[in-house]
Amino acid sequence: MTASWRALPRLALRNVRRQARRSLLTGAAMALGVALLAFSRALGDGAHEDWIEAGVRMGSGHIAIQSPGYHASKNLDDRLSFEALAYANRALERSDVAERVVAVATRLEVQALAQGPTAAIPVMVTGVDPDVEREFSRLGRQVEDGRYLERGDRLHAYVGARLAERLELRVGSRLVLTAQGADGDIAGQFVRVAGIFRSGLPEADAGIVQIPLWTAREWLGVGESATTLAVLLESGWIVSEMVNTVRETIGTRDDLRALSWQEAMPELEAGIKVDDWGDYVFHVVLFGIIALAIVNTVLMSVLYRTREFGVLRALGLTQVQTASVVVTEGVILTAVSGLLGLAVGVAFTWIFFRNGLDFSAFMESDFTFSGVVLDTVIIPVFRWRMVAMSLGTIAVIGVFASLYPAYRATQIDIAEAMKFEA
Amino acid sequence: MRPTAFVTAALLCVPAFLHAQTAAEIVDRVDQLLRGQSSEASVRMEVVTEHWSRSIDMHLWSLGTDYSLIRIDAPPKDAGTATLKAQTELWNYLPRVDRTIKLPASLMGASWMGSHFTNDDLVKESRIIDDYDIEITFDGERDGNEVWEFTLTPKPETAVVWGKIVEQVRKRDMMPEWVRYYDDLGEVSRSMVFSEFQVMGCRMVPARMVVTPADKPTESTTIIYRTITFDIGLEPSFFSLRNLRSQRD
Amino acid sequence: MQRVWWLIGWRNLGRNRRRSIIAAAALAFGYFSVVILVGWTKGLVAEMIGNGTGVLTGQLQVHADNYQPDKSVYATIGGRDGADIAALSAVMTSDPDVSAASPRVYGGGLVSSGSATAAGLFLGVDPDREVDVSLILNVIVEGRAPSLGANEILLGSEMARTVRVVPGDEVVIVAPAIDGSLGNDLFIVSGIFKTGLVDLDRTMAVFPIDALQFLMAMDANRVHEVAATVPDPWRAAAAADRLTDALAAGEVAVDVESWITLRPEMVEYATLTESFQWILLVIVFGVAIFGVANVMLMATFERRREFAVMLALGTRPSGILASVVAESLGLAVLGLVGGIVVTFPIMVWFHLAPPDMGWLFGDFTMQGALMRPVLRVEYPWTMTWQAALALLITAVAAALYPAIRAGRVPPADTLSGR
Repeated sequence: MTASWRALPRLALRNVRRQARRSLLTGAAMALGVALLAFSRALGDGAHEDWIEAGVRMGSGHIAIQSPGYHASKNLDDRLSFEALAYANRALERSDVAERVVAVATRLEVQALAQGPTAAIPVMVTGVDPDVEREFSRLGRQVEDGRYLERGDRLHAYVGARLAERLELRVGSRLVLTAQGADGDIAGQFVRVAGIFRSGLPEADAGIVQIPLWTAREWLGVGESATTLAVLLESGWIVSEMVNTVRETIGTRDDLRALSWQEAMPELEAGIKVDDWGDYVFHVVLFGIIALAIVNTVLMSVLYRTREFGVLRALGLTQVQTASVVVTEGVILTAVSGLLGLAVGVAFTWIFFRNGLDFSAFMESDFTFSGVVLDTVIIPVFRWRMVAMSLGTIAVIGVFASLYPAYRATQIDIAEAMKFEA
Repeated sequence: MRPTAFVTAALLCVPAFLHAQTAAEIVDRVDQLLRGQSSEASVRMEVVTEHWSRSIDMHLWSLGTDYSLIRIDAPPKDAGTATLKAQTELWNYLPRVDRTIKLPASLMGASWMGSHFTNDDLVKESRIIDDYDIEITFDGERDGNEVWEFTLTPKPETAVVWGKIVEQVRKRDMMPEWVRYYDDLGEVSRSMVFSEFQVMGCRMVPARMVVTPADKPTESTTIIYRTITFDIGLEPSFFSLRNLRSQRD
Repeated sequence: MQRVWWLIGWRNLGRNRRRSIIAAAALAFGYFSVVILVGWTKGLVAEMIGNGTGVLTGQLQVHADNYQPDKSVYATIGGRDGADIAALSAVMTSDPDVSAASPRVYGGGLVSSGSATAAGLFLGVDPDREVDVSLILNVIVEGRAPSLGANEILLGSEMARTVRVVPGDEVVIVAPAIDGSLGNDLFIVSGIFKTGLVDLDRTMAVFPIDALQFLMAMDANRVHEVAATVPDPWRAAAAADRLTDALAAGEVAVDVESWITLRPEMVEYATLTESFQWILLVIVFGVAIFGVANVMLMATFERRREFAVMLALGTRPSGILASVVAESLGLAVLGLVGGIVVTFPIMVWFHLAPPDMGWLFGDFTMQGALMRPVLRVEYPWTMTWQAALALLITAVAAALYPAIRAGRVPPADTLSGR
């Protein structure tokens, strides 16, 4: 019996070869499907990572540590005291957290009025540490004119392009920021425009002003406090694990609260899930059609060989072994073509699109989705997850598409089969 | 201490010296002209805009740069409406609904009572000489008058929006003739012209000033002082929310 | 093509029913997927446009010709003298594509309660008309809409939270009037709305139009805007053109704008998704072509003896080609019929009772429009026949190679056994 088990793959392989043209056609469909999967996943993952990254960098990081009331109130009253801030920073210095953290940005945000000689516009002023923020927020790289804030800056501001247009500001212009300080008094702060950015996100370009953290603290009279500690992790995949670790550390304090980006920006998460879901549906459709083609091929190969299976059964092959021959045949067909497709898909994506697929021809203006400007150039990302998914798909389709034909093969009546003439 | 009262023709008033003053002292004097230690004035404000024009009669009390109270007497629709400025806070009293409202920071740039002054203009508490470096940029005769022209440049860290202010003062009686506010690019943003110099409350004052925004030359706000008395001994307690509401006069 | 080839082709489908059914099922599934996916995309775009324009904008707006881009409060329709707004609205609703019109007044000022004060954007509407034009009165989460003639106000949820009021509370409203005076009055909060768009929920306050006009010292015939509903958003541009002509004759100078000019980014997105529909069509049927070709190859291989006999008896290769193509077309028709039978009821079902994906993801925003997590299918009529055509083309294309091979069967060799 062991001998016949060993013969099974050879039997199956022979059959695949024997019907070379048919196998080639089905294999081509499979290969094309997997290649498409690899291609679209690489681009999809690339777009999503860019999207999440843009979202968390524009927003409050993968993890935001704030005072419990701040997320709802956005009020300076709900700020982190110096002591709470220090505690949160210590929590992030724990070795198991610190090694995954890329950057920690201390921010002091306040609603304010930006005044020029002819107009006044409500804005969100963020006090930032330029050295950290340059790496953290993408705004630092979207300089349209002038430069980003620097370490030695004090009375400098980095403003959005639309705001600059409306207030008739250019680099070097005077700007007065007015807000209610920590003591309730209205305080004005003079700054000069050091740089102007254009992010493509209308809300940001018309409503964000960044100034050095120390200037903001002095202006608002909040001492060494801040409103948000934004944490950027090395990868978006470890957020929930890290949030839990941080929560454990700060668990006992009622003046600290850690939010994951999904909690801080639920609409961004929803947007990504929608897009993901659309991808999955598409893949199911694609592989549904491919699976049907494979079912047909394998089924036909079974029906053509009714006589052969009859002989095999007569020679003592069990039902399970008969079925195994068929399944092995299906799996070999899908595996070979699938792996080929994966290789082709990855190679194709790498050769033609490693520098990005440019969508900008389709879109004149920026495309915003859940508060993030999508880059019109998508850089593909190759993840093991994508490879695993492709392999899984290949295996599942190979096995499942063979099951029905295999079942048919076991149902062959030996006596009848002998009369069968293909 | 504030500079002493200005020389006038009125016999009751204390004379002062006109000579030996620095540019800063002159500008400061002009800045304080209509304030004094404390003051009470009856003022008419005429606002002309592209879409409407109206005049408002009001009473105005002030104490130094920290406190002021403005109560509208006419037109009847707005009568009783009052604005209180106490340090950096600005409150409005609305008689129609009998409520006081503290203006949020986001409205500091908004117009005060439809005029070409912003709420922020009212709240500014610092003296010009604290915020600006002052130099004389012209000294001589213009239009038959001996005048000084001062250029005021904001001190490096002052929270003011203007790129510079240029002011002309005539030497004869140290009356301001005009003030021009420039933006960063050196363009005039708004201008103020003074006239009808006369003695009121023991001081020579410009009884009329006209503010014109440069981008809308057909619009203007004119302020006409009908009476003004200085140093009437007001206390900070006068500038209270309770007083804001009370219907005096 | 002679009828006989059709008959032979059709008969051959029955030779191996199971195989034919599986192949037809693949085509049917392809048809179903393309139509439903495109329907979903259309639903998504329709929702984006519907919500993006429906929350406040409306699909069509009429303003004074000097209203844009400054949106000055003085730039009322008909200028200082105002206009006959009822007549204007009547002209608008008389357009066949316009279903409702609602006059609006805009202003700005303060909403204050106790010690809390917020700056807001004020919108004055006739609640009975506005309800047919925008969603703002349909997203009231507490209380009710304000009534004409009453000093009532509907606040956004974030603003209500900022000034700490609930329906029934009193708020002070201060708004600079157009005569230069400072309009102020007490209003009762009639309700609270929540659009999900934070900006609107934080800054917007809705008034009865007469109360806001009174507060701002405006005559009843002065409004800033008449917004209108065009139930099919894609007809809004044409309706705007017609209204421009219709209103040009009147004595007041107005601009008619559709959402297409007001929100160009949405049009771009819609165009982008249309190009993706074509990609989807090509990919799905491109993959299906292999399945069908395979089946046809098998079928012709089985019948090679038959073809050899036919050729030997003098049938021209073109006849054989025709029978093979006919067989493939028969397969396509089977698949198409099956596809339509399955697709159309599901399409109607997903249109009328769309699946709620709330368990998977929450609200999100696209191009500034709030989207609900609902997968509604918008009838993709064009795609239903385009996909059908694509399916038939797929079948013919897939049959060509096997058919040509069949026509070239060497009769002697084949009949002699190998």
